[in-house]
Amino acid sequence: MFYREAGQFKVSYAADQAIFPIRQDQIGMAMILAVAYVVMPVAGSEYWLETIMIPFLVFSLAAIGLNILTGYAGQLSLGTGAFMACGAFAAYKLTTAFPDLNIIVALLLSGVAAAAVGIVFGLPSLRIKGFYLAVATLAAQFFLIWLFAKVPWFTNYSASGVISAPPRAVVGELYVTGVHATPQARYLFCLTLVAVLALLAKNMVRSSIGRQWMAIRDMDIAAEIIGIRPLRTKLSAFAISSFYCGVAGALWAFFYTGTVEPGAFDINRSFQILYMIIIGGLGSILGAFLGAGFIVLLPIVLSRLPLMLGLPISTATISHIEVMVFGTLIVFFLIVEPHGLARLWRIFKEKLRLWPFPY
Amino acid sequence: MAALDQAETPDADTREIGDVLLRVDRISLYFGGVRALNNISFEVREHEILAIIGPNGAGKSSMLNVINGFYHPQEGTITYRGKTRSRMRPYQAAAQGIARTFQNIALFKGMSTLDNIMTGRLLKMHQPFWMQALYWGPAQREEIEHRKFCEEIIDFLEIQHIRKTPVGRLPYGLQKRVELGRALAAQPTLLLLDEPMAGMNVEEKEDMCRFILDINEEFGTTIALIEHDMGVVMDISDRVVVLDYGRKLADGPPDSVRSDPAVVSAYLGVGHD
Ligand SMILES: Nc1ncnc2c1ncn2[C@@H]1O[C@H](COP(=O)(O)OP(=O)(O)OP(=O)(O)O)[C@@H](O)[C@H]1O
Ligand SMILES: [Mg+2]
Repeated sequence: MFYREAGQFKVSYAADQAIFPIRQDQIGMAMILAVAYVVMPVAGSEYWLETIMIPFLVFSLAAIGLNILTGYAGQLSLGTGAFMACGAFAAYKLTTAFPDLNIIVALLLSGVAAAAVGIVFGLPSLRIKGFYLAVATLAAQFFLIWLFAKVPWFTNYSASGVISAPPRAVVGELYVTGVHATPQARYLFCLTLVAVLALLAKNMVRSSIGRQWMAIRDMDIAAEIIGIRPLRTKLSAFAISSFYCGVAGALWAFFYTGTVEPGAFDINRSFQILYMIIIGGLGSILGAFLGAGFIVLLPIVLSRLPLMLGLPISTATISHIEVMVFGTLIVFFLIVEPHGLARLWRIFKEKLRLWPFPY
Repeated sequence: MAALDQAETPDADTREIGDVLLRVDRISLYFGGVRALNNISFEVREHEILAIIGPNGAGKSSMLNVINGFYHPQEGTITYRGKTRSRMRPYQAAAQGIARTFQNIALFKGMSTLDNIMTGRLLKMHQPFWMQALYWGPAQREEIEHRKFCEEIIDFLEIQHIRKTPVGRLPYGLQKRVELGRALAAQPTLLLLDEPMAGMNVEEKEDMCRFILDINEEFGTTIALIEHDMGVVMDISDRVVVLDYGRKLADGPPDSVRSDPAVVSAYLGVGHD
């Protein structure tokens, strides 16, 4: 069973344009879905679902969002946390103001609210680029978080400022948020939403809109000369990216922590998501998942490894090691492989296609 | 009806130079103290191949940049398809059927050959983004229909083997070809080529000449090109405009321009041929 396309002739452009043109990849994807949908909920412990799988899914979604803006459209943003916070607070306001609103609708509308904010903060991108744009998004980051913390309307005038996400069901009594929701229900809901949104993102980046983003990223002057409207294209990237980040923020608050607080979406969160797409791969949907998985799992692996090897290392040392590993990896990927793990995976597959006869 | 169609289609031998497509009228362009273009007027007629020649820094590229809205001249007007235009952006020129290539290749380096050419086709693609996100029905059909068109361009330019290669990895000559493909994908009425053969070897130049002539003959595309190789210019162009220090020295058929004393002293004399 070699990994290659021999004998699999593409008879139509439709087949050639499929997301997984090679059969082995299709089988692989089916297996991943089977594990995610069947094995995980059945065999995964509550701990595993709640502290690893759900944050992994939420991070993946946020990383897809940032990757659309930064990896595909080339607009560097440090405001990811703020756009996530927009989604989280919008979801809170929507679910409390309209208790009968279906949770799916509430989440999507939260994404739309974040998209609107994203468009406003994307406006400077017409005039400024790169580092200066990053500074402008940094302003959005600090301003929005400050706003959510200072204006009591956002927290429905709660005294403590920390509010918990209200319980909501998808249908009937099937609760997915709040205290009644089982980890399995929350996990499966997140999984489905993230899988669908990831598929839509993949479709966009392989269509005309995705090519327009990449054209702006690669050479904005040439892009305009072939008919791309720079502002509109950049704003579409800001809007769709912020939509994804907003939904991710709402999922974070409602499905992962259960509380809505601005502190969860500070500048560190923005950097964390940025690290994910750098390590996972700029301009790759798969890379968003790889980067998120890596950053969620690394601290866990690092904290378990010394125990398993019987090495007496203090937790303080471990967290230092963690920072060092991240730093090294980010420098490595930025310098050596800007397309991250996703690219390494591609190279591996290309090699595999030729293996065992490399010539 | 069929006969009429035939009569109207210019085929290889009966390519007729038609009406004025583009009129450049007393254009002047300054960069601070530098006068890149000085009171330039000329016309481009339908279906013709116009060559713009002149020494380095003569203002040739600036002229193309003015035509496609990238530079805004301080004086003069441009009339395209009978409409005198005011200040416009490059994407508006693209929407009106003006496509171009650059002196220094301006491809989308991170994208494959196919994606570059598909991007050149974007003005013909109209599905809203949410249909593209669903990649379903009309959106998928549109994608496939345009893929077919782009594959025809790929066949025409003989670049099938590099279809999926990221263009950043291609050699210079092939990049020039892909850039031409991206411009062709828009099915332009007016194609502006800035030194399409610069830096190519003889064989590559011959290929490029053949492509330019074929585009002009088969699709009736009007072409304005900048070229330094006088042999090529004399061979393929219907008319030549000579610029020097931002001024127009001569304008006419290749033979008469070649023997124009002003041109000989300004340009041909300086080491060329
Ligand atoms: N963006 C710009 N800013 C300042 N000066 C410019 C700019 N573009 C062109 N120029 C100047 O205008 C003059 C004409 O330049 P242009 O590039 O049009 O020449 P060219 O005929 O294309 O030359 P070449 O054969 O070297 O390509 C030059 O003096 C150049 O320095
Ligand atoms: Mg030039």
